[in-house]
Amino acid sequence: MAKFVWTDQLNVGIDVIDQQHRRIVEYINQLDDARSNGMSNDEISWLLNDLVDYTISHFGFEESLQEEAKYPFLTSHKKVHELFTKRIADFQKRAEQGEDVVKGLNSLLVTWLFNHIKRDDNDYVESVKAYLAQKQDFVERKRGLFARLFG
Amino acid sequence: MKNLIWTDNLNTGIDVIDKQHKRIVEYINNLYGALSNKADKTAVRDVIDELVDYTMTHFAFEEGMLDEYDYAQLDAHKALHEQFAAQVRELRDRFDSSEDASVELNNLMVTWLFNHILHEDAKYVPFIPKSRH
Repeated sequence: MAKFVWTDQLNVGIDVIDQQHRRIVEYINQLDDARSNGMSNDEISWLLNDLVDYTISHFGFEESLQEEAKYPFLTSHKKVHELFTKRIADFQKRAEQGEDVVKGLNSLLVTWLFNHIKRDDNDYVESVKAYLAQKQDFVERKRGLFARLFG
Repeated sequence: MKNLIWTDNLNTGIDVIDKQHKRIVEYINNLYGALSNKADKTAVRDVIDELVDYTMTHFAFEEGMLDEYDYAQLDAHKALHEQFAAQVRELRDRFDSSEDASVELNNLMVTWLFNHILHEDAKYVPFIPKSRH
């Protein structure tokens, strides 16, 4: 399995979002290393839950930003997040039952995240950037609610 | 089995949707390329996974948009997506036992996508505000 290497073309140009995406990529790579680092199934499940927890918080943060910025395709973007969350939940269930899901999961995560950032996320950048330029306190206001992302 | 070529009549005029449709076409052509080059089974399976994954994501995005703009035919549109998704899943499963299913999958995508865009997606276009185009 290939490492997910962060390249500049993945930056959407909104710092707080780029940092979160990079963190998700780190998680994906940690999961990819799990086998070679000799992690047990329990440890892998734990790491997977952590990845999912962080990613869902990130989705929430992103959606709340889109909502305030009045991004016209918020509902669409949410549906895409929901579909992804459902697919990951299925992997989590299988991992808990002892199945080795790392390879299949890695391929989904890498492909999906890359496409999602490059396409779906890029679509909201214009609205959100314009909004953040006016409301510079957005991140501060959300810091408490999304503490998971700023730990 | 053939390569798909995007023509302007396929544009719905909703930029974000057109970009996604074009991307699906690229994936279909990737599959066509992999099959013509007789790529090995794992490589073909990867291309199929990417194609299916992206198409399902596009459906979710499109349905979200139709929901947001209260499109009256949303349920019917969703049913078409679901029916298609079931066919695709079945072919993907069959591919695991028989590689021939990949040609059938390519044919299905080719026939279905352009028809769906021209006849079904075209119906919702007037209901999406011009400011979103």
